[in-house]
This record gives sequence, structure tokens and C-alpha cells, in this order.
Amino acid sequence: MMNGRKKWLLVLAFVASAVLTVVFGLRAVHRRPHRRIDEPIRPWMTVTYVAHSYHVPPHVLYEALGIQHKPHDRLTIARVARQQNRPVQAVITDLMSAIERARPATPEGSPPAAPEGSPPAPSRQESRPGGSL
Amino acid sequence: MTPTDQALAWLSTYGVPVLFAVIMISSAGVPFPITFMLIAAGSFVELGELSLWPVIAAGIFGAVIGDLIGYGIGRWGSGTAVRIATWISSEEKWRQAEAAARKWGGPGIFFSRWLITPLGPCINFASGIAEYSWPRFLLWDIAGETIWVVLYVMLGKLFSDRVQAMKDMIGNLTWAFVALFACLVFGWKLIGYLRPAPSKEMASVPADPPGTSSLK
Repeated sequence: MMNGRKKWLLVLAFVASAVLTVVFGLRAVHRRPHRRIDEPIRPWMTVTYVAHSYHVPPHVLYEALGIQHKPHDRLTIARVARQQNRPVQAVITDLMSAIERARPATPEGSPPAAPEGSPPAPSRQESRPGGSL
Repeated sequence: MTPTDQALAWLSTYGVPVLFAVIMISSAGVPFPITFMLIAAGSFVELGELSLWPVIAAGIFGAVIGDLIGYGIGRWGSGTAVRIATWISSEEKWRQAEAAARKWGGPGIFFSRWLITPLGPCINFASGIAEYSWPRFLLWDIAGETIWVVLYVMLGKLFSDRVQAMKDMIGNLTWAFVALFACLVFGWKLIGYLRPAPSKEMASVPADPPGTSSLK
């Protein structure tokens, strides 16, 4: 039969593994891939992948880098930097600028910004019929 | 660039041969982010930069060959090779895997291929040392690795624009499964401990031999 110390170690191990299951499970749920979150651009990514990830046409990014677009060329950001003899970060900065220019002014799903000088949008309570009562 | 970035850059540039080589090396016991590589490969398939079937074939063959190398080191390797393998995988993890290999055999090999993947390389060595039948090992291994490769390549294809987010989620999910597995093992042992043992009187009374009940 198990002695008292071993029993408590077993209880401790059981509780610790249960806690870790919950912690990692919650982290997995929290980090599930959202459509609207932009991934940071990494050196291994191809220009085509960046265009796909940021939902912009690939030719826009190739033009921004001054490279002719050839389908399936598997051109990575690291290789572009090497070919153009400049830091990877400079290439990423150019890509981000091109993405910002190519994208619509407002992010997908968010309400359009009110034009300057217009009155603020009414709140839900104010716009409800009979709300002034 | 980090080693992961470098490996992924090679995958982007050279494609399937890199996938095969990295998966084989990693399955043999060298830690590498191969799940991330499979997800990225799935994304490249979706973008038309790699073809689906060569990616799946390279993934399965690389993984199975790497697993067989690990099994071979455990079974036929010298003591030094086993010591090196133990050092790479950490002794505690390796002991757990050896116990699992002896206890669970085929299902242990199968589930460590695709569900509780961090134990995979250790189970390979342990199966070799425990002299688990190699044809059976190969059968369970191919079944598990096929699920692993197809599952992650398809996830990469499905979430082709969010591979880094997928990697983060799957990494956490894998450790959640490892912790759940540990929880079940400790829970099972705890239940066995808490269950009342049969009393001495009951244990000492022999069962009636056949035919003696009519004498009473």
C-alpha cells in the first residue's frame, strides 16, 4: 500500500496536471486564429503569402519592391533583402506602406469614421423612440 | 533570423526536399518546429506554391524514416547512442515514455504520433529498448504519422492566411493534451489508491469447489 507522502505527491501531481490542462486549453482558445488580426511579417514569408495574409493583390507588393511578379516564384522577404542588399526590416517597412495604401481606408467590419465637423452619432438610448421621455 | 525562420525560409525556397529532411531529423529526436512547417506547407499548397500529394508523401516518409532511426538507436544502438538520445530528450521525459511504451504498446505509439506529439521521439527510443516488434511498430507508426501529416497540412490549407496564429493555438492545444494525458494517468492511480482493498476474511476464504455446494 502507498504511504502518506506518496499519496500527497500523487494528489499534487493530479491537481497540477489538471491546472495545466485548463491553462493550456484556455490559452489555445484565446489564441485561436482571428480573421481580422494581421500577422507580423517575418523574413521566411513569401511575398505571395504576405499578400494573401493581408488580403491585398500580390502585384501591389511586387510593384512596391520594384520586382517583376512571376507566379509561384517562392520569393521570400529574406531573399528580397539579400538581392536588394538592404536590411529585412526596410523591406518589411516598404511592404507595410504598400499594404496601407492598397487597403480601404477603414478596417473590415468597423463603422466608417464620421466626417470632420459633423455632429456626433446619437447613442442608442437617444435614438430609441420615446427616449426623450 | 531565428532557426525557425531559417528553416521556414528554406521550405519556402526549396520546397518538398527540405520538408522531408527536417521532418526526418526531427522525428529522429532533434527538436525542431515541424508542426509549424507542416502548417506553413499547407498554406503554400493553398497558394499554389507547392503541390499537395508530394507534401503529404514527403511528410509521411520523412516522419516514418525518422521514427525508425529513433527505434533503431534504441534497439540496436550502442550504449553511448542511447545515452546521447536520453540527454537530448531529458531523462525524466524519456523514463515516462519507456513506461508508456511498455504499458500501452501500439496505442501509445499511435497517439504519440499526432495527439501527444512531444512524447513521440522518446516513445521511439523506448519502443526500441523494450524490443517492441518492429513490424507492429511500423504499422502503428504509419497510421499515426499519416493522420498527423494530413491533419496539419489540411489545417494549414484551411487557415492559409493565418499560419502563425494557428501555430500558437496548436502549440497550446498539444500541451493541453499532454497535461490531460498526465491528469488521466494520475487520476487513474489515485482511484486505485482510494478504492477500498478487499478485507482479509474475504481474501482468506477459498471459493467453493464445484459440486461441494450440494453437501451443505
